Amino acid sequence: MGKPVIEVKKARKVYVMGEERINAVNGVSFTIDRGEFCCLLGTSGSGKSTLLNLMAGIEKLTSGDILIMGESIRDMSENRLAKFRQENLGFVFQAYNLIGSMTAVENVELPLVFKHMGASQRRKRAIAILKKVGLTKRMYHKPKEMSGGQQQRVGIARAFVAKPAIVFADEPTGNLDTRTTAEVMELIKSMAIKHHQTVVMVTHDVSLAGYADKIIRVLDGNIQSIEINENPVNPGQSAGSETYEKPEE
Amino acid sequence: MSIADLLLMGLRNLFRRKARTILTIIGVVIGTVSIVVMISVGIGVNESFDAMIMQNGSMTVIDVSSNAWEEDESGNYTNVKQKLNQDVLNQLKELDHVKAVTPYIVDYSMQITSGSYSLGGGIAAIDMDCYEEFGYPPLADGTYPNAENASGKFIFGTDVEKTLYDWSGMRMKTKELDPEHDKLELTCMQYENNSPKPFSYKLNPMDFVDMMQTESSFDGMYNIFVDLEFYRGIMQKYANTLKLSDRKKVMNSLENYDSIKLNVDNLNNVKEVQEKLKEMGLRSDSNMQYIQPMKDVANILQMVLGAIGAIAMLVSAINIANTMIMSIYERTREIGIMKVLGCKVSDIRMLFLFEAGMMGLIGGIVGIILSYAASIGINSVGGSFLLDAFGSGVGMSVGEGMAGDAPLSVIPIWLPLFGAGFAMFVGLVSGFFPALKATRISAIEAMKSAE
Repeated sequence: MGKPVIEVKKARKVYVMGEERINAVNGVSFTIDRGEFCCLLGTSGSGKSTLLNLMAGIEKLTSGDILIMGESIRDMSENRLAKFRQENLGFVFQAYNLIGSMTAVENVELPLVFKHMGASQRRKRAIAILKKVGLTKRMYHKPKEMSGGQQQRVGIARAFVAKPAIVFADEPTGNLDTRTTAEVMELIKSMAIKHHQTVVMVTHDVSLAGYADKIIRVLDGNIQSIEINENPVNPGQSAGSETYEKPEE
Repeated sequence: MSIADLLLMGLRNLFRRKARTILTIIGVVIGTVSIVVMISVGIGVNESFDAMIMQNGSMTVIDVSSNAWEEDESGNYTNVKQKLNQDVLNQLKELDHVKAVTPYIVDYSMQITSGSYSLGGGIAAIDMDCYEEFGYPPLADGTYPNAENASGKFIFGTDVEKTLYDWSGMRMKTKELDPEHDKLELTCMQYENNSPKPFSYKLNPMDFVDMMQTESSFDGMYNIFVDLEFYRGIMQKYANTLKLSDRKKVMNSLENYDSIKLNVDNLNNVKEVQEKLKEMGLRSDSNMQYIQPMKDVANILQMVLGAIGAIAMLVSAINIANTMIMSIYERTREIGIMKVLGCKVSDIRMLFLFEAGMMGLIGGIVGIILSYAASIGINSVGGSFLLDAFGSGVGMSVGEGMAGDAPLSVIPIWLPLFGAGFAMFVGLVSGFFPALKATRISAIEAMKSAE
């Protein structure tokens, strides 16, 4: 599979809270290959979210190093990091994190706005990707006017619109019911497969781990096990989801 | 982010919080109006003073008269004699800020005559070196004589009436002065009744010179000027024809001047020089001393308006900062999301600075429009207000010059530009720290799954 797209080398994150030192991430090492769907599985407080934040450059490492596409993010400046995110990273959040004053299409355009893409070109791309996630009729609605599943589909469109090499997803289905969860998982997976993109997903839900190619179990800041899933659930296989192009609710 | 996207997003954010934005802008409007009106009144008052000074060219002249008037506590005037001899003159020449000093003798008993006709108006004897320094209008033809060639020259003030009168007959006769054909003489008549024969001195019409006509009025516009030394010579010759007692009086009057005039280098130093004169025990008069109280009132008016303007602007700056900080608290999450999605820190800073600057600019523009309305309002009532304020205390001629046609509030073309620019600047300055605060918001905020 060639060079890994993410290399985590003895990554450590220590929070100092008064007298106490909390080892959120305890010197872990692993790699994720290009096109892999990787799942960080762990209970709440296990340090899995911190690990994701470290990989995304949102939090600073205490020690160790993380290489993304061969580049160390450890010493990147704020500006370099911003540029790096524009070009290589996409994000899906548990709470969707759409901007309330903007319509679906404007939210999806946002990463392209930061990349200085022209207005008509980015609008075209945003509309195209919203059609792909099945929100043709909701493009000009604001987040408040949409269901949780629809909002998360906007979030996914936003994460993929700039064609990033890696998409980070932090409990993407945490706020959704079972049926919608399956839809959202299918959507993420199918979109990533289409462009051979890498997905790093954090979850506490063991059932979701079935979608992953690689499952990394995290406990108390340490890696418990790294497991290769030879037979992941692929788009169209899961129950309750014949197609991700769901009719409008 | 491109500029267009930044502007769009900033305007959208302002529009999203309509009520708060409008209230903040109203604060800026009030500040701008106060400052623009203050400056416009300042300019208006200064222009009025300038106009007044233009109309009355001798604002910097101080007059020390041998025959002074002193006002006592109950407001009665008493006559005080002051001795103005060569010593005093020399002392005055030494004073700071004094540009020129000259004795100023106006002799009404010395007249230009032609037979039984004589010319009205007094002969003023001054130091010929001082013409230019006292700001007299230039001559219609040629330049002012200097000490060497001044002797015998007669310089006509702009408003000297050039009519010869004959009072000797039963009915007064008049004729126009015609230097070419009239046989003109200078006749001294001070001691006419005691004198064996009238003293006179033949004049050459070539020596008559006119001042150029000007719009402004000045001290001595009704006088015919001669050189002091020339005047002395004539008077000495005249004295020789008189009886001993009269001769002594004439000689005495040549040593002690009627009055001395000083010209001060700058309008603002007149008061200082007059105070120095007071220390020397000399009473003096100047046009400036009447205008000074008006200027003081105008300055106070400007300072009060300026203070109101400054306070209003300060309050509106605090207001803008407060609005921006509130908005940052509300948008913490949004800023975090933007950062995670790859928005540069500089873009976030620009966005907040733009929002703050925009509130300043909009407030400034609205404020300027209202300032024009306020200016028109002030000018429609202001003239009479100022006349009331000053006219009663000061000579009406000065009060009228002030309140006449000159508007109280003048908005020059640069003022609206300055006003809007300043309001925007205040917005940017007050937005600076909130913007800095916004850039420090961590992207982790976006990852928190609150709500």
